[in-house]
Amino acid sequence: MLSRIGLAAALLLALLNPASAHHGWGSYDASRAVTVEGKILTAKYENPHVTLTVEGEDKTWTLTLAPVSRMRTRGAAQEMVEPGKVITAVGYVSTRDPDEMRAERITVDGKTVEMR
Amino acid sequence: MSPDAPAILVALEQSALGMAIRQSVWIYPAANVAHILALTVLAASVAVMDLRLLGKFRETAPAAVIVPARRAVMLALTAMVLTGLVLFTAEASHVAMNAVFQIKMGLIALAVLNALIVQRSLPAMLSKTPAMTPLPIRFRIAAVISLALWFCIAAAGRLIAYF
Repeated sequence: MLSRIGLAAALLLALLNPASAHHGWGSYDASRAVTVEGKILTAKYENPHVTLTVEGEDKTWTLTLAPVSRMRTRGAAQEMVEPGKVITAVGYVSTRDPDEMRAERITVDGKTVEMR
Repeated sequence: MSPDAPAILVALEQSALGMAIRQSVWIYPAANVAHILALTVLAASVAVMDLRLLGKFRETAPAAVIVPARRAVMLALTAMVLTGLVLFTAEASHVAMNAVFQIKMGLIALAVLNALIVQRSLPAMLSKTPAMTPLPIRFRIAAVISLALWFCIAAAGRLIAYF
């Protein structure tokens, strides 16, 4: 019985590698990190995730960032991602919407903040 | 915002209430945490209620277990609906179009229907059933259905975020 519990726990741990934290990665192409740089057009500093639209080179991107509380504790206040600012975001593109990216980190005015 | 959603849900999402929920730092996460806490209470009381219907803890009088457990189920379910409405309002149009959310709502309807059917004949049955006496098969079948449905509902709730 105990060894069976041990086996189940080991299997569970094997499945729970750090990359599967939060909502998982199924709907984002984590095999390819993409960098988007451009002017912030609109900003929704809202739960459940802060979202921006950014004027990219060839299209307008929708960037999904972190929940409001995490944005704040990581040092990305609302003023940091205001429309008009130039942002550099590294993240993964949605497998459902080619114009949406889940940002892993953002850089604005030389300041980089991790989102995950 | 999902443009295919019914206008009333788009209006709900864009209402002052929807805005307030999204723009508050704590309302959404607090509702999220409370929704899960209510789920733990719901799951525990559903398990006690349904296991007694199935004949576990048979040394107890069924009414002594099932009546208070049912009350706890109602209370937890009320908390789930209230906190769920907060989460829903923030993203109403988006969530309503989510296939897993629709499945979840259908399963909840089935679980409530199952409970209502049982409720029609259960009090009379409980009042005449002492300890150590199995309940009629239809109550045991209803208990299995209830357990299965609530597990699926909980799973569907967590899966909404992935679809």
